[in-house]
Amino acid sequence: MSRFITSAAVGIAMAASVSAAQAEPLKVAIIESLSGPQTSTGRLLATATEYVLNNVNEQGGFNGDSIVITEYDNAGDTSGAATKFREAVADGAHVVVQGASSAIGGQVTEDVRKHNIRNPDNPVLYLNIGAEALALRGEKCHFHAFHFSTTAPYRTGPLVKVMQQEGELGKRVYSINQNYSWGKDMQQAILDNADEYGYEVVDTVLHEVNRIQDFSPFVAQIKSANPDSVITGNWSNDLLLLMKAVGDAELDVTFGTIFMDQPGNVANAGDVAPGNYVANSSNIELLENDFPEAYREATGHYPVFIEPGAVNGISLFAKALEQVDFGGGDIDVNKIALAMEEVSIDNGISEMHVRKGDHQAVMPIVVSRVETGVKYPVDDTDYGFKPIEVVSAENAIFPVQDSCRMRRP
Amino acid sequence: MEFLIVSTLNGVIYGMLLFMVSAGLTLIFGMMGVLNFAHASFYMLGAYFAYTLSGVFGFWVGLIVAPLLVGVLGMLVERYMLRRVHAHGHAHELLLTFGLAFIFEELVKLFYGDFPVNYQRPEALDFSIFHIFGTAYPFYRIFIGVVALAMFLVLALLLTRTRIGMVVRAAERLPETARALGHNVPAVFLGVFGTGAALAGLAGAVAGAFFPTNPNMALELGVIVFVVVVVGGLGSLTGSLIASLLIGVFSSFAVGLDWSLAGALDVVGLGEWARGVGGLLTMTLSSISATVPFLLMLIVLLLRPAGLMGAKN
Repeated sequence: MSRFITSAAVGIAMAASVSAAQAEPLKVAIIESLSGPQTSTGRLLATATEYVLNNVNEQGGFNGDSIVITEYDNAGDTSGAATKFREAVADGAHVVVQGASSAIGGQVTEDVRKHNIRNPDNPVLYLNIGAEALALRGEKCHFHAFHFSTTAPYRTGPLVKVMQQEGELGKRVYSINQNYSWGKDMQQAILDNADEYGYEVVDTVLHEVNRIQDFSPFVAQIKSANPDSVITGNWSNDLLLLMKAVGDAELDVTFGTIFMDQPGNVANAGDVAPGNYVANSSNIELLENDFPEAYREATGHYPVFIEPGAVNGISLFAKALEQVDFGGGDIDVNKIALAMEEVSIDNGISEMHVRKGDHQAVMPIVVSRVETGVKYPVDDTDYGFKPIEVVSAENAIFPVQDSCRMRRP
Repeated sequence: MEFLIVSTLNGVIYGMLLFMVSAGLTLIFGMMGVLNFAHASFYMLGAYFAYTLSGVFGFWVGLIVAPLLVGVLGMLVERYMLRRVHAHGHAHELLLTFGLAFIFEELVKLFYGDFPVNYQRPEALDFSIFHIFGTAYPFYRIFIGVVALAMFLVLALLLTRTRIGMVVRAAERLPETARALGHNVPAVFLGVFGTGAALAGLAGAVAGAFFPTNPNMALELGVIVFVVVVVGGLGSLTGSLIASLLIGVFSSFAVGLDWSLAGALDVVGLGEWARGVGGLLTMTLSSISATVPFLLMLIVLLLRPAGLMGAKN
């Protein structure tokens, strides 16, 4: 008995001495859709996040220790995300990273906000690397949320601007989008740009998300409206099926898209793909640095779709970590957040920083066209995304929304 | 007129695709009383198998062999899983197939990745068959319809005109008597389940080349296929066909109709008020077209609980 007590005491003493010698590690929780229908987005975002943070760890980590990166699978729904958020907080997470789906983003940002009100001494940061809803930067904005992705108006303005310059927008524009916050944002942005770029929105359609197998009835509608171009914020199957159906009907329209660069789209769209446009916050064709190769070495593929944007966002976070020093002691999340407002990085195309008003990342938009003869062809085809124009941040970004009232600590 | 013809054509072809997938489901339910949640997974597996095979042996080999493989897989599921839990009742069978659906989905992601694979129809089938009001109509859509129709005819003849069909129907209606007469009822069940799975596999192999073959395709079609089976009447092949066509045509027409409650209120002069209120009142039918099948199901369940052609009406 006494031996047991002694060994237990020694054990406790040892544990205490170990924790005293070790610094508090920074804990980053990736709460993503890692199973279910949105895995294709969630997995990429998790990969991009881990790529940057693993690099930080290789160069010595943060606060005298390696950053602890943990993946939590929210299974693609908000209730799953809420559960995993509580789990992450119980595990001592300082930072939550999420990006696939604005609906889940809305859940996470609210959970973080409430947590921080209740635990002002122990706040959590939310890094949004993919959710694009305006509301997240508007009525739902708060000091501990940072948004590294774009929004519908942020991308749509540059998209129609460049398509008009290239003479492929035409006078008649058809708007078809998914019937939820993102699709509605897109439709509004398409309508808002009509006067400036001299087009008429001949029809607007909102349809259900990821439920429609057969888009041919919609193509019949598009045809009867006789548009020159179709602008859509559709992603995944809703974009692919739409483009294939339009191609099968041999309609002569140009597509302006937001998510054409999702893997699998170009190959599956086949003959329909070339000549259509996509607007994104990055395009690796423009990069002169060794990032694409390094990324491939680490992950097995070139960064595509949302990956470069996510890498840029997390890199900005990593840059902010360099600016703060807790001397191996307790981590003050508020100081990291304040540092993120100050730092800027070179994302390979331009300078990038976060504006204070709503914590939206400020960066240019690259408008590209599907063409052959590119450095990085995609999907085992000859096609890739040829950059047409880089629209500067000042000309692309949306104003800080009045609905964002940020209370600073 | 253009709207009418194009929408009907689109709706009928989509309905035929729904029928291809739901035929196996209704067959299995009718024979065995098993509500197979993994049925749409067989559809997905058919597409993926066909994609793999077509890369090596060509499209047609894939189209024929993939359904056979899926059929064999279906038999294995019946023999080594469903039969074990059969004694515990239908709830267990249902839960088992429910779990299987998730496992198949994640397995597909494991082997083929999270993104759509590049499964394309062959060049020889990739042309437009005719122009309708200036719009090209792809031959492959007609091809899907023809395959589905052929499938319906073969199945219907097999069940009503052959000895095999007689035994199967006997085993369904009175399994104990059929067994007493010397028929191997478990073998019949095995065959039925395998055939049902193979039919879904065939649908996947055909449709996967037209719609993208991706890990979500089971999920996307799964729910709607259940609606078809419920509307048509559980176990009725003809009912499934009618329900599939109804749902296909209804969804197709709904897309083109800008009807809303506000429009209806115009008749009584309240249209302006309704548009002012907005929300549900101004929601157009086209924006909820994917809900139409569920509305149909609701109405059918209320009026004819056993479905359009169900046996117990």
